[in-house]
Amino acid sequence: MRVAVERERCVGSGQCELLAPDVFEVDDDGAVRLLQDDPADDGAVRDAVQQCPTGALALLDGD
Amino acid sequence: MTVAPEDVDLSTVDLSDRDWWARPPQERHAALDRLRAERPFAFFAEPDLPGIPAGPGYHAVTRYADLETISSQPGLFCSGRGAVSMQDVPAELHEFYGSLISMDDPRHAKIRRIVSKTFTPRMLERTLDSVRAVVDDVLARARVTAEAHGGVLDVVPDLAAPIPLRVICDMMGVPEEDRSRVLACSNIVLSGGDPDLIEDDDPLTAFLTAGMEMAALMERLAAERLADPREDLTTALVTTEVDGERLTSQEIASFFILLLVAGNETTRNAISQGLLALSEWPEERARWAADPSLDRTAVEEVVRWVSPVTWMRRTATRDGEVGGHRFTAGEKFLLFYNAANRDPAVFADPQRFDVGRDPNPHVGFGSRGPHFCLGAHLARRELQVTFRALFDQLPDLEVTGPPDRLRSSFVNGLKHLPARLTGVR
Ligand code: HEM
Ligand code: SF4
Repeated sequence: MRVAVERERCVGSGQCELLAPDVFEVDDDGAVRLLQDDPADDGAVRDAVQQCPTGALALLDGD
Repeated sequence: MTVAPEDVDLSTVDLSDRDWWARPPQERHAALDRLRAERPFAFFAEPDLPGIPAGPGYHAVTRYADLETISSQPGLFCSGRGAVSMQDVPAELHEFYGSLISMDDPRHAKIRRIVSKTFTPRMLERTLDSVRAVVDDVLARARVTAEAHGGVLDVVPDLAAPIPLRVICDMMGVPEEDRSRVLACSNIVLSGGDPDLIEDDDPLTAFLTAGMEMAALMERLAAERLADPREDLTTALVTTEVDGERLTSQEIASFFILLLVAGNETTRNAISQGLLALSEWPEERARWAADPSLDRTAVEEVVRWVSPVTWMRRTATRDGEVGGHRFTAGEKFLLFYNAANRDPAVFADPQRFDVGRDPNPHVGFGSRGPHFCLGAHLARRELQVTFRALFDQLPDLEVTGPPDRLRSSFVNGLKHLPARLTGVR
């Protein structure tokens, strides 16, 4: 499953990191980065994308 | 005592009146239920503040769905004209006290990212031990205090206030000897002008003086960290550049004030009123105390139930429509988190305190949008550690009297909550 990240929108809230710590990490610049290019499709990643408070995450087409 | 929504006379309800906010919670919630059901964008005039002209008034947003719609569109509903006051405050005051919370993107996001990493679940894992140490120490001292007074203690100063204060001061690197002043100042800044907390006759002067005292402390600390960097938040604030520039000392001071105030007054009131809720719902207390696997959901329920921050403001930047309400540019909206958190469209049996509530999509830390509480993960952790430690170390703690409530529309707070340790005699 491919996830798109829009770093300018991200405020580093860490909500995604809380839900799927193996996939998302807030880095030293205070914005999110992906720890995996193509994470397994599980509920936690979908929840993280859906619940991001700033809409900085999206599932890419087809997923 | 229960108050049914139909018993409320809506013509007597003025959300701008701070005395109304000191009324019993059942009565407030009954009124908010009526507003949500009948007048979901009820209009209120702004209160008078000395020296500040009253503005046009605001709409009270009480439905969960409308609140989310507004919060998630920061371009249409901005924070930059003031998020923490009903009035448009003079620009200097607003910048000074508001910082991040009254800023809009892109600058908001850039500033927030300086500190966001420190507040992520991963980083906080490392501070868990120090939170535990603070909590254990505060509880041990509370026991000593109670033992010296025939078992009697006051939950607010003896338990609820010192825990978040010490945690956030540790993170900022505030020296021990400055901490009691920091607490006094942050009380004043968030008092909403409650005369009990302000010795001065003139709340505005007291407010400014408290802010200046905190700013002076920060300037001193900032100079020390510039010369001698450490691993604390203050060092991050003084050394990081935004758009190639360091923050000004003014910006650093207001950020510091925001972190102190936001980190203290909120968590404190979640602790004190969480304890109050547990005393009113003894079966829920017994259930949670017996089962640490409930810590996560129970803490979310405490935040929903208490809603320590009552509202944040947004201002429309253009004309538009939301939830059937047409608005024009410049219209103000107060997002009533406490009302949304009891919206029956989202929460089953919302007036029931249920430590196992799951899912619990409460908006106690804010709804969707870039201002979602920076300290949410920290606050959750503090609350989980605190309640578990209270069950283990002060199992005989019993609330003995009615709380003394803060007269503020903005913070749902307690000044005092009498209690005793029944095991002490
Ligand atoms: C139970 C405790 C807490 C509650 C209920 C709470 C609630 C809130 C709420 C409702 C907001 C506004 C959200 C919005 O406008 O969308 C907020 C923002 C904020 N909170 Fe908390 N908070 C708590 C604890 C903390 C702690 C411990 C800190 C520690 C530093 C903190 C720091 C902040 C900051 C800096 C902001 C502004 C964020 C921004 O504008 O980007 N809060 N909080
Ligand atoms: S949830 Fe959204 S805003 Fe928060 S860190 Fe993840 S991507 Fe950024």
